[in-house]
Amino acid sequence: MWDGTISFSLVAIPVRLVKAVKPGRITFRTLHRADYSPLARRMFCPEHEQIVPPDEIIRGYELAPGRYLPVTDEELESVSPERSRTIEIIDFIDLDEVDPVYFDHPYYLAPLKGGEKAYRLLAEVMRRTNKAGLAKFVMVEREYLVAVVSMEGALAMITLHYSEEVLPDNGIAPKEAKLEAVEKKRMERSIRNMTAEFDPAKYADLRREKVVDLLNLKMKEQAPVEAPVLEEEEGEGPADLVAALEEIMREVKNKP
Amino acid sequence: MSRTAIEIGGKRLSLSNLEKELYPSCGFTKANLLEYYGQMSGSILPHLKNRALTLKRYPDGVEQEYFFEKRCPVHHPAWVQTAEVSRGSKQMTVCLANNTATLLWVENLASLELHVPLARAASPETPDAMVFDLDPGEGADILDCGRVALVLRELFSRLRLTGYPKTSGQKGLHVFVPLNRPETTFDDTKQFSKAVAIIMQKNYPDLVTAKMAKEQRRGRVFINWSQNDASKTMVCVYSLRAREKPYVSFPLEWKELELAVKGGNPARLHITHAEALGRIKAAGDLFREVLVKKQKLPHL
Amino acid sequence: MPSGTIWKGSIHFGDSHVPVKLHSAVKQERIQFHLLHRSDRVRLHQQMICAYENIPVPAEDQIKGFEVEEGKYLIVDPEELELTTPESSRMIEVHEFVKSGQISPLFLDHTYYLEPDSDIKAPGYSELAELLRGMDAAGICTWTMRKRSYLGALQASGRMLRLCTMRYADEVLTAASLELQEIDVSEKELKIGSDLINQLTAPFEPRKFVNEHQQRLQKLIDTKARGEKVVLLRPRTLRPTPPDELLQALEASLKKAA
Repeated sequence: MWDGTISFSLVAIPVRLVKAVKPGRITFRTLHRADYSPLARRMFCPEHEQIVPPDEIIRGYELAPGRYLPVTDEELESVSPERSRTIEIIDFIDLDEVDPVYFDHPYYLAPLKGGEKAYRLLAEVMRRTNKAGLAKFVMVEREYLVAVVSMEGALAMITLHYSEEVLPDNGIAPKEAKLEAVEKKRMERSIRNMTAEFDPAKYADLRREKVVDLLNLKMKEQAPVEAPVLEEEEGEGPADLVAALEEIMREVKNKP
Repeated sequence: MSRTAIEIGGKRLSLSNLEKELYPSCGFTKANLLEYYGQMSGSILPHLKNRALTLKRYPDGVEQEYFFEKRCPVHHPAWVQTAEVSRGSKQMTVCLANNTATLLWVENLASLELHVPLARAASPETPDAMVFDLDPGEGADILDCGRVALVLRELFSRLRLTGYPKTSGQKGLHVFVPLNRPETTFDDTKQFSKAVAIIMQKNYPDLVTAKMAKEQRRGRVFINWSQNDASKTMVCVYSLRAREKPYVSFPLEWKELELAVKGGNPARLHITHAEALGRIKAAGDLFREVLVKKQKLPHL
Repeated sequence: MPSGTIWKGSIHFGDSHVPVKLHSAVKQERIQFHLLHRSDRVRLHQQMICAYENIPVPAEDQIKGFEVEEGKYLIVDPEELELTTPESSRMIEVHEFVKSGQISPLFLDHTYYLEPDSDIKAPGYSELAELLRGMDAAGICTWTMRKRSYLGALQASGRMLRLCTMRYADEVLTAASLELQEIDVSEKELKIGSDLINQLTAPFEPRKFVNEHQQRLQKLIDTKARGEKVVLLRPRTLRPTPPDELLQALEASLKKAA
């Protein structure tokens, strides 16, 4: 996805960006109603009515309706050359200070050859100090503000929203109110009764179970449909070879 | 997570989750897996050597999800040998299982099955062997594959070729025809195997199909000639398979195949890990010839 | 301006019901690029293509299937799937409360502000916010909104309640999946590393960071649109610190930071 270096002060660590989020265990395929063949997402040219292979695709900025300015990957990398291959940690912050409203999308960073030791050091030191690194980096056309955090011995990188993207809450927040003591006591009792350890797996299982139940039920009622098999190049094969083999095959079959 | 550090040939390796059951129905654990491949390493390594290894990983055992991994995991130990191969327009780094430490490292990743291409990484367009992948359709079994293999053997002998059968470790058989000549191309082996498959289908229409379509395969053995391709991989001889029990893709003697077909005894053709280790000890590597025997595809 | 109301519902736990309105807490506006066909610069669209016939398939001809084995699918109606989501209601059901710090940020997705629904008169809103803040607790809850079921964390921020959607556990990869090798780092290196990080620590002030790149990108577009040539700059690459120079680099960094 992205290879580069992460740096803090004078230390630079070669890393690769790895996804941290994947589709859940139970996913559905989109199929064609007509032949039950699975569908794939492809870029399609409406003018030529054809599928366009990746090497024929370029990026463009819409100057006016229907008028596009093509922009190359090299040009995009050139916009912030100091950030397109480097995640430079600018500040370290206390992880607890980050308002969760800023969290956007998580990734992992994996060490590349030669970076393992420095990677391990940064992960361990951030864990001990409960700190996160703040950095900016550019991937394709976007610049991301990111928090690099230590996660079970690994480095995770969470993209953050820019503060201008966080909407103001004025008009939504309630005015200072006199709290109802009885109501509060009652709520507090409920909260204490319902306090548990956080175990996210429980909820994923619950959801999965329901879908599995549905599928099991359906399996009893209906047979699965079959997607058509994509035929490999068939045809007859080289005629001479087939004829020669035919001859030998006859011998094999007539063998006493 | 439990970890155990070992050292093999000066290479340090940290093994994890040894007590995890990978074949839960028979209590076969990660430790058993490492033990099997450790004992088998002398026999399997020559067949894996210098070939782009595809891992088929079952991190939570055979009853759970698996995934194929063609790229060498980024965090491989420095001593793992790798090769750069191109797939389409993309380059990628693959692992070469060239020593016991690497074999055990990939097994620590719960790669129950090991798949390799017919060509070596340095000469990706040169197959060392031609393969006939005999895959029984619904209603056919491994004995039907055996019948087809025996006809192939007869056919090959008239072409002055020797083939070597092995079980797929699942329901089918693989017949390897060693070539080991640098001028062979996948085009050659594909054309040849396809012609053989078509002739077989024509002469044994009730037993054989050369077509991939599922309905054609019912009750018949599909000769999958299209495996003779640079982009395809075959399960390596001596690799375990992810079934309810740890069955092995294991070489057979023609005689033994003949007996099994005559006796109508398919059970003899399903070889477990324990049996595999015992037989290797007694008879050595029956597939050795596949790596060295030089044969030429006849010009017909 | 805060965004408009997205959805109305009621937080429920124990005997308490707190009616609220959801407002989005973030909004992203970024320069958009489109994908074009290289040959004629026609704008491309994403289409679902039938693998068998190699033709685009319109939405009305798409169905959902669950792959039971290779190439075999169980067809599932969207209506049937909806049955598996908790019945559509206006209820944000809190299942349990956990310490806020236990929720890994990898799980957090999109945040909503909760406004007390004054049309119904919202009893308990301020009390709940105060309690969650004081106890540093988050309510793990589920609800159904726009025909989708959500998992989320109910938290307080100041006097306000917020709801943050969460990813399911089977959607978040664990760090263990990276298969990292264990590597020894000396106490000395860790000590200097910790000192360095403490030296470089600053308060979190997100306002300090603006998206400069956006402005530079706009400039590039303007330059190109005027038909002027763009100077290509090579991306900066850093030399990785070799493992045996790590201690040295840390010491030099510390000196520089002091």
